[in-house]
Amino acid sequence: MREPVKQRIIKLLIGASIIFVAVLIIIFNLRDNLIYFYSPTDLVEINLNNNQEIRVGGLVADNSLKYEENSSIYRFVITDEKNIINVEYRGILPNLFAENKGVVVEGIYSGANNIIANKVLAKHDENYMPPEVIDALQKEGKWQGE
Amino acid sequence: MSELLSYLGIVSLCICLLVSLAQIKISYLKSKVNYINYFNLSLIQFVSCLLSFLILIYIFITSDFNFSLVYQNSHTEKPMIYKLSGSWGNHEGSLLMWILILTIFNFMFASMSKANIRLTEITIGVQSFLILGFLLFLLLTSNPFSLLSESPNEGLGLNPILQDPFLAIHPPILYLGYVGFSLIFSLAIAGLLLNNIDKNWASIAKKWTLSAWVLLTAGIGLGSYWAYNELGWGGYWFWDPVENASLMPWLAGTALIHCVSILEKRNTLQSWTVLLSILTFALSLIGTFLVRSGILNSVHAFASDPSRGLFILAFLLIVLIASLFIFARKGPFLDKEIKYHLLSRETGILVNNWLFLTILFIVFLGTVYPIFTDIVLNENITVGSKYYIFSITPIIFLFIFAMIITPFLNWSTNNYKILIQKIYKPTLLSVMLIFSISLYFDKLSITEISLLILSSILIMANLNSNILFKNNSFYLTSNIGRALTHAGFALLIISIIANASYAKEKITQAKVDDKIIVGNYDFIFSSISQEKEKNYHKIIANFEMQQHSGTLKKLSPEIRFYNNPPTITSETSIARMLFRDIYIVMNVPENQEFINVRIHIKPFMNFIWVSILMMMIGGLFSISYRIKNS
Repeated sequence: MREPVKQRIIKLLIGASIIFVAVLIIIFNLRDNLIYFYSPTDLVEINLNNNQEIRVGGLVADNSLKYEENSSIYRFVITDEKNIINVEYRGILPNLFAENKGVVVEGIYSGANNIIANKVLAKHDENYMPPEVIDALQKEGKWQGE
Repeated sequence: MSELLSYLGIVSLCICLLVSLAQIKISYLKSKVNYINYFNLSLIQFVSCLLSFLILIYIFITSDFNFSLVYQNSHTEKPMIYKLSGSWGNHEGSLLMWILILTIFNFMFASMSKANIRLTEITIGVQSFLILGFLLFLLLTSNPFSLLSESPNEGLGLNPILQDPFLAIHPPILYLGYVGFSLIFSLAIAGLLLNNIDKNWASIAKKWTLSAWVLLTAGIGLGSYWAYNELGWGGYWFWDPVENASLMPWLAGTALIHCVSILEKRNTLQSWTVLLSILTFALSLIGTFLVRSGILNSVHAFASDPSRGLFILAFLLIVLIASLFIFARKGPFLDKEIKYHLLSRETGILVNNWLFLTILFIVFLGTVYPIFTDIVLNENITVGSKYYIFSITPIIFLFIFAMIITPFLNWSTNNYKILIQKIYKPTLLSVMLIFSISLYFDKLSITEISLLILSSILIMANLNSNILFKNNSFYLTSNIGRALTHAGFALLIISIIANASYAKEKITQAKVDDKIIVGNYDFIFSSISQEKEKNYHKIIANFEMQQHSGTLKKLSPEIRFYNNPPTITSETSIARMLFRDIYIVMNVPENQEFINVRIHIKPFMNFIWVSILMMMIGGLFSISYRIKNS
């Protein structure tokens, strides 16, 4: 009942090329939608294109949180104690958001060390520090935890 | 007392371990003593695990802080239901529950199996091997009964975000699904060893596969419902790695159900079915590994300890390599080739299988790639949800198309005339319906309109040909289970599209007596109050939702300040109406006169939950039909 060899080879080739194209499309799609994480210092060191979606993490700088009542926009500064980035966020800040605490924001890089955030990532409890923030602070030697 | 309980808990686990060894041993002995049979042994496995699990629950209910596990995860002020759910809301307890469920399936299979005795014995042998592996994992790396040298007066408490009734039952149901697939795996390995994968094997496997599938679907649905209610982001699916970890076995398991059907009806595709059985359980194990090892840094990852991760990884590799080795030696000789027409039901189901595997590949790549770059390149990245949406949407088209035509095709032969006769009416009706709707709802894109049309055809064609109206009463055909599940899937797609395209959101600050307008609704912020509960105090904001100056509903979102551990959470307030949910979350900034409010209008939310229920009910219909006819 086996088919002739030639027919089987043709079938296999068609199958393989469909899979190849599908995998290629998926991988390119993945590459286009990756969101990279940077510390404020990384952002100074590399030249990032505007309008790229990124994540930034660090500490919320002291006395930096401002609220604009008429436009409901929060502004604050994220620092790794060496460099800073300004954040603009329209939304509800998580409950445990506070100055001098760790934070990760996700949003669009708008050049000149500004990011327009669409997510400010929530922490679970007082002691939790996002691992990215620990990394970013350790790089600058500012990490004081265990 | 605590020493005694700790001792008892561990001893009964050791008994289970020894009996599992005996089970493995008798599965390849020919002659045996009368009363030492697989049934009695599986009963002992089950009872000893149950005893140990009951002790775990007892120490949580009585808040026995001599146990380090209770100390770390419980608190006397916690309500009883969360003391109970706290016992499986942590790594050690959930692992013990996982093992208990393994023994439950083992025992159920031993007492209900209609397979021949060798197949049953070896299946239980393989299942006991899995029980053994997980018991070793529990006893060596995560003993739930370890005692503290000094007994503290008070525990540390359970993360308040986990204190939710749906999250209390979500892990048990999800685990029932995951572990249910372990039984299919054991059955497949046993069938391979005995060269016994045939129609009869398939009809046994199908019942268990369906049961595991229904439970896994329920588990995923509950998790999503919890995220929607509790996390306060207004979403129900985030493509978070932990969610993906439960979706992957679901995708493989759903492909498996379809493949088992071909095997049962046509006695072909033996090796492919076995491979899918292995894959589905391997993905369940990978899911556990991802969640339990703490390798993910995601919103869900609460556990972390590398030694545990390595143990699961090693166990996963042993299971995979051993089963693939057996498969490589036996699998290729199982297949019975048959001929079928290109436009037959076999082709349709195979196409469906390939589409499932493609989606699985997409989800797997998106979940694992960030872990890979983190470990190998030391680069920290996240995969945006757009990746999943853009990659999966085109496949959903092909998918629904295949779902529409395949059930109307014959096995092995081509009968496109019947197909056309069955679907031309639903097609015409759907095209007219969706076009007229899309004139009114002008935000819909071409992609969305075409998906809506396809989904609508799928629903109509399924219900039309499986709910019959004769002599003034309704009859259900024997395929009603499949029809409901497929229609449920179509309804899910429709609801997701409606929800995504017509959701409204407003973020603003509010003082008492302010009026907020969102869509056709006015929200009056009428008052703010404080209350004290047993283990937290809360601030409540009261809103009146009005339309045309008549009050429709009262909404009262809360902020809760938990004492132990000290945590603040926002509780959403949701008004559920037939066609839309109104969803309010708030928080209170320090030193300000106002509160921050986010109001969502989310269309078709109820239909998302209903469609998941429909899929499950469809599965239950299929199971009950099989039980009645066997």
